[in-house]
Amino acid sequence: MGVRLTTAIFAGKAAYFIGKLSGGRGSSLPGAVALRIFPGTLRALADQITYGTIMVTGTNGKTTTNNMLARVLESFDDRLVINREGANLINGVTTAFLKKSSLRGRLAHHWALLEADEAAFPKIADIVQPKVVIVTNFFRDQLDRYGELDKTVSLIRTALAKLSSAKLVLNADDPLVAQLADTGLPRVFYGVGAPTRNGEAGSVTREARFCPYCGENLSYRYYHYSQLGAYRCGGCGFVRPRVEVEALGAEVIDGVTRCKVRVEKKVLPVTLPTQGFYNVYNALAVFAAGLLLGIAPETTAGSLSRYVPATGRLQQFNYKGRPIYLNLVKNPAGFNESLNLLCGTRETKDVLIALNDNSADGRDVSWIWDVDFERLQERRDILRFVCSGRRSEEMALRLKYAGVPVQRITVCPGFAASVRQVLEGHGGVAYLLATYTALWPVEKILRRYARESTVADRLPSLSQSS
Amino acid sequence: MLTVCHLYPNLLNLYGDRGNVIAFVQRCRWRRIPVQVREVNLGETVDFKEIDFLFIGGGSDREQGLIIADLRKHTSSLAAAIEDGLVVLAICGGYQLLGLYYQPLVGPEIPGLGILDLYTRAGTKRLIGNIAIETELDGKTVRACGFENHSGQTFLGNIEPLGRVLKGYGNNGRDGFEGARYKNVFCSYLHGPLLPKNPALTDHLLRLALERRGMDRFLSRLDDTVENLANEVMLRRLGVAKG
Repeated sequence: MGVRLTTAIFAGKAAYFIGKLSGGRGSSLPGAVALRIFPGTLRALADQITYGTIMVTGTNGKTTTNNMLARVLESFDDRLVINREGANLINGVTTAFLKKSSLRGRLAHHWALLEADEAAFPKIADIVQPKVVIVTNFFRDQLDRYGELDKTVSLIRTALAKLSSAKLVLNADDPLVAQLADTGLPRVFYGVGAPTRNGEAGSVTREARFCPYCGENLSYRYYHYSQLGAYRCGGCGFVRPRVEVEALGAEVIDGVTRCKVRVEKKVLPVTLPTQGFYNVYNALAVFAAGLLLGIAPETTAGSLSRYVPATGRLQQFNYKGRPIYLNLVKNPAGFNESLNLLCGTRETKDVLIALNDNSADGRDVSWIWDVDFERLQERRDILRFVCSGRRSEEMALRLKYAGVPVQRITVCPGFAASVRQVLEGHGGVAYLLATYTALWPVEKILRRYARESTVADRLPSLSQSS
Repeated sequence: MLTVCHLYPNLLNLYGDRGNVIAFVQRCRWRRIPVQVREVNLGETVDFKEIDFLFIGGGSDREQGLIIADLRKHTSSLAAAIEDGLVVLAICGGYQLLGLYYQPLVGPEIPGLGILDLYTRAGTKRLIGNIAIETELDGKTVRACGFENHSGQTFLGNIEPLGRVLKGYGNNGRDGFEGARYKNVFCSYLHGPLLPKNPALTDHLLRLALERRGMDRFLSRLDDTVENLANEVMLRRLGVAKG
C-alpha cells in the first residue's frame, strides 16, 4: 500500500477520533480529510470488498432500506461496511470505509452497503463498482441543488449505463424508476399490489403523471401515494412491469405493519415493527435484493421483524408514559406520509415541526406549500403545532393558510424550548417532524428527556393483537 | 363571486406555487368575499372573460413545452382579457411564456405567447437563492421576498418591471430589475411562494379584481402578524429590513 494511502487513512482516522471526542457524529469530515490527502482512498478501500457492494439511491427510503438490508446480512455475516447514519455523499461513504480499515489501509470485509445521494451517486458508483443497485423512488426534493427531477433521473440513468456488471433492484410502481430497466442491466422489480388504504393518500404531489417516454398522460388503475401505483401509458404502451416481489394486503395495527410478501412464487407473512406504509416499499426492496444475492425470503422476513428504525425514521421514544415519535421530513411525498400517520388515529396529539433551510435541507422551503396540510384544519385531536427551526415563521404561515386555527400554532425558533413545549403538551402522543439538519439537534434534546423504545417494548403489542 | 383560475395545476406545479392561489382564496374567505377556484388542465377550454384572477406557475422544461402548445389555442382570448384588465399573476416559467420568445443555449428560439414585450435567454449559470425586491403598490413602497431558481434570463422591452432587486439576481442578474408589470398583469421569478408572505401584494391583486368587477374595493383589515413575521425574518437575513 502506498504511503499516501496510509497517510490519508491515518489523518482520516485521527479526524474521526477527534470528532468523536468533541461530541460530533464524525460522519463526513474524516472522509473529506482522507480524500484531500489521497483522492484514491475510496477506490483503494472499496476494491478490497470481497463479496460485493450494494448501493441504494433514490429520493426517499434510502437510509431505511440500507439499514434493513444490513439487518438481514448481519444475521449471518458481520463483516459489513455501511454508511448507517445517512451520510451519503462521497465524504460520508469514504468515512464508512475508513472506520473499518486498519491503519495500514487493509480491509477484510465482505460486503459494503452504501446509500448514496442522487447527485453523488454517479461518482460514487463509478469508484465502488456496485454489484447491486437499488433505486427506491424519485420525488421532488431539494430542487435548488439539482434543478429539476428529469435531470436527476437522467444523471442516474447515465451512471447506471456505465456499470456493466451491476444488477438492478427497481421499484416498478414508480414510472420514473421503472424506466431505468431500459439500461439493459439485469433487474428485479418490486411493487405493492392492489390498494390497501381507502382515500387517505394525498393526490397533490403525484410526480410523473406523464409518460417518461412519450409525454402522454399516464392512467392509473390504482395508486398508493404520489405517483406510485399501477400506471399505463395510452400513447406508447409503457406500463408498470410485472414484479418478482410484491406486497399484498398491507395494514398497520398498533404501530406494527403486517403484510404478505410474494417473492416469485413463494408467499410469506411479514411483520415490520414500525408504522408507515412507505416502509413496506423499503422492505420489498430488501426482499428483491435478497433474490439477487441468494438470501432466502424467510431469512429476510425474520430479520425485518426485528428491525429498529434509524435516527428520525419514525423512531419511537417514551416520555412519562407517552409515546413520542421522531420522523424526518424532507419533501412533499414524505411529509404527506407523515400526515397520514398523524391522521391515522384519533387520540389527542401535540406536533412539533422543525423546518430548517440549510443546504442539506434544501435552501428553498417552498415545498411545504405542496404538502397537504389542508386536511388538518378540522382535526381537533391535534392540540397544538409548535413550529421551530430557521424557518419556523414560514411553517406557521403555511399552517395558517391551510386553515389551522392560529391559536393552535406556536412559533418557537429554538429547538430546546420547542421540544420541551411539545413534551409538556396535553396530548396522548407527540410527533416531532424535522428536516434533515433539524433532526440531529432535535433528537439530541429529546434524548435528554425521553427514553428510546426498544423492539422488546413493541413486541408485546404485536403478540396481543395476533 | 370571484373566480380564480389556476392554469395547468397538474403541470405547472413546481416549488409550491399553488400557495399563491391558496393565499388569494384564503384572504377572500377571511373577509367573506365569495370565491371559487377553477383548475384548468391540458386540453380543457376556458373563457378568460369569466375569470377574475388568473394564476400561472412554473414547471420543468418538459412540462413547459407541453403547455405552450395547448395555451397557444387560447392566446387571442387571453390577450383580449388582459387588455380588458384581467388580473394575472405569472411566476417563473409562466412569466417567461407570456413573453415573445425563449432562446435556448442551442437550437432555435421557442416562441412564447407574445402578449408581453419581453424575451428570455437561457443562461449558463442557474440563478438560485433568496431574493428581496422593492415594489410600488398604490403609491406605497413594499418590500417583498421569495426564492428564485431559474436559468433563463429575462429582458424587458417597452414594459415596466415589477420592482427593483434589493438582494438577489432578479430578471437577469444584471439590470437590477425583477419581474414585469403590464396593466393588471404581474410577473415575477419569486417562488416562496410569493403571495402568502407578501400580503400587501395579495391584497393589491384582490382590490384590482374587485374593482374590475365593479365590486366594492374596500378590504377589511386582517391580522397579518404571522405573514409579516415570515417576511421580516427573511428581509432581516438578507440585510434589507426597513428600520
